[in-house]
Amino acid sequence: MRRLISHLGPLLMLGAGLIFAIGAMTSLELGSLRRMGPGAFPLLVGGLLCLLALIGLVQNLRQPMPVQAADPMAVIGVAGGVAAFALFTPLAGVLPATALAVLVTGTVIPGFRWSHRLALAIGVALAVWLIFVLGLGIPFIAIRGL
Amino acid sequence: MDLLDNLALGLSTAATMQNLLYCFVGVFLGTFIGVLPGVGPLAAVAMLLPVSFYLPPETALVMLAGVYYGAEYGGSIASILLNIPGTPSASVTCLDGYPMAQQGRAGIALFSTAMASMFGALFGVVVMVLLSPRLAEFALLFQPAEYFSVMVLGLVAASVVSTSGATRGLMMVCLGILLGTIGVDVNSGETRFTGGIQELRDGVSLVVVAMGLFGISEVMVSLRGATQSYAGAGLIGSMFPTAAEWARSLMPALRGSVIGSFFGTLPGTGQTVASFVSYALEKRVNKRAHQFGKGAIEGVVVPEAANNAAAQTAFIPTLTLGIPGSTTMALMLGALMIHGITPGPRLISDHPELFWGLVVSFVFGNIFLLVLNIPLIGIWVRLLRVPHYYLYPTVIVLICVGVYSISNSLTDVWATLIFGAIGYGLRLFRFEPAPLLIGFVLGPMIEEYFRRAMLLSRGDATVFLTRPGSAALLAGAVLLLAATLFPWRQWLARAITRARGRIRS
Repeated sequence: MRRLISHLGPLLMLGAGLIFAIGAMTSLELGSLRRMGPGAFPLLVGGLLCLLALIGLVQNLRQPMPVQAADPMAVIGVAGGVAAFALFTPLAGVLPATALAVLVTGTVIPGFRWSHRLALAIGVALAVWLIFVLGLGIPFIAIRGL
Repeated sequence: MDLLDNLALGLSTAATMQNLLYCFVGVFLGTFIGVLPGVGPLAAVAMLLPVSFYLPPETALVMLAGVYYGAEYGGSIASILLNIPGTPSASVTCLDGYPMAQQGRAGIALFSTAMASMFGALFGVVVMVLLSPRLAEFALLFQPAEYFSVMVLGLVAASVVSTSGATRGLMMVCLGILLGTIGVDVNSGETRFTGGIQELRDGVSLVVVAMGLFGISEVMVSLRGATQSYAGAGLIGSMFPTAAEWARSLMPALRGSVIGSFFGTLPGTGQTVASFVSYALEKRVNKRAHQFGKGAIEGVVVPEAANNAAAQTAFIPTLTLGIPGSTTMALMLGALMIHGITPGPRLISDHPELFWGLVVSFVFGNIFLLVLNIPLIGIWVRLLRVPHYYLYPTVIVLICVGVYSISNSLTDVWATLIFGAIGYGLRLFRFEPAPLLIGFVLGPMIEEYFRRAMLLSRGDATVFLTRPGSAALLAGAVLLLAATLFPWRQWLARAITRARGRIRS
C-alpha cells in the first residue's frame, strides 16, 4: 500500500505537466518557432515536466522513495490558525484575530499550557501592533470599533 | 581611483541612520533564527518580504542580506553547545565544536567561530568587490542565448543539490516555471492559465508562494515536535584562546576563506558544500589532522570561515548575472524585481548606490555580528533554553499579518494557506520545495530570453549550441547532471560517520 502511495508523487507531477501542456495547446496560440506565441513555452516546459515525471516514476518503481507520514493535527492546527485570522479580521480587526490565531495554533502543541498560550497571544498581538501599526504605519483596522 | 569613489558612494549610502538601523535589525534577526534549529533563514527572509516593500530598495536589501549572513553566525552556536546545527551549513562545526564544549572549552569555540566567521565574511566581501565589476563587464557581452543558457545552468545547479535527487529537483524547477507563467503574458497580452479567476491576472504573488511553501509548510512539519527545549545548554568557560591557538588558527582561516569564496560563487553549491569541502581539505594539509574531531580549534575555524565567505560571495552571481545561487538569493532577486529593479549585468552601473551600499553594509553588519556574538553571547545561550512552542504560533501569525499587510487582502492570506498545503504535500512525497521557488523567480526571465533568442536566430534552435558562450554554459549544465550519476552523497555520508565515530571513541 505504502509503495503504491509513493508512486503517487511522480504521477501527480505527470498530471500537473499534462494540465499545463494540454492547456497551452488547446487554449493558447503556439505561434511559429521564430515568433513564439504565449503557449509555446508552457507547452515545452510542461512536456519536459511530463518526461521528468516518467523518469521519476521508473526510478520509483525500481527503488521506491518512502512517503513521510502526515501529521493531521499539525495541519489542522496551522490551517485553523490561518483560517481564524482570515475569518476574524473583518469581524473584529487585526489584533483580536492575531490573538485568536495564536490560541488556535497553540492548542495542538502537546504540553503547551493554557496560561502560557494566553500570555503568548497577548504578547504577539502587542508586538504586531508595535511593529506593523506603530512602526511601519500600515493602515490596519487594529480593533474594529475603536 | 574608481574603486575608492565607489566605496565612498557605498559608505554614504550604508552609513545613514536608517540603513544602519535596518542592517542591525537584519543581522539580529538572522542570528536569532540561526540559533534556533527549525526555522531557517529562508523562512525568515520570506517573512520579511512584505515589510521590505515599505522600505527603499537598498534598505530592504541591506536588511534581507543581514538576515542571510547573520544566520551563518548564529548557526554555529547550537552546533557547539548542543551538537545540533542551527543551520545546515553549521553541521560541520559540530564535529569539533561539540567536543570542545564537552571539554569545557565552549567559550573558546564560540569566540573563535565568531572571529573566523568575521574573517571569512570580510575575505568574501573583498573578493566580491574585486570580482563583481569585472564579471558584470564580461556579462554585458551576453546575448539572449547566453542569458538563457546561464539560467539553465543555474536551475540545473539548484536542482542537483536537492536531497531527493536530481530528477525530483528538476521536476520542481519545471513546476515553478509553469506556476510563473500564470497571468498575463508580457509579449502578447494574453492571459494564461488563470481559469477565469480575476485575482490571478497579475500572476501568483512571490510573497504568497514563498511564505506558503517555506513558512506555513515548515511550521506544519515541525509544530508538534515543539515540546523539547534544550535545558542542558550551559556556559561556557573562558572565552579567550591562547596565543598558540591564535597562531594555529590563522592559516586554516585563510584556507577556509579561499575555498568558501570559490564555492559561494558557484550557483547551487553554497555554504554547506563549502564548509564540508574545506574541512575535508584542511584535514589533508593540517599537521594536527589527528586531533580533528576531538576538539581541535582548527576544526571550528575552517568551516566557519568557509561558510561565511561563501555567504558573501553568493551575492556575486546574484547581483552581476541575475542568477541566484540559492533559494534565499532567489527571494532577494524577487524583492529587487518587486521594487522595479531588473537584476543582471547592468545592475552595478545602473544602481551603483544599491550595489556599493550593500557591500559597505556587509562590513557594518559583520561588526554588529561580532558584538552580538562575543559580548552578548549570553543572550543566545539563554534563548536556547526557551521552549520552542512559543515560536511556531508566532511565526504563523506573523505570516498572516505580513501577507495581509501587502494589500489588505484576505484572499492573499487564503492563497498562502493553499500554497502551505501544497508545500506540505510536496514534502510528504519527498519533493523539496526550494528548487520550485527558484524556477518560479527565474521562469519569466528564462521565457523572455528564450523567445528573444529564437527571434534573433530566425527560429533556429541550434543557436544555443553554435554560440560558443552559450554552448559552454550548457555543457556545464550537462556535466553537472552527469556528475549526479556518481554516489557523492554516500561518500560524504561515509566521511561524516567516520569522523563522528572518531568523536565517540
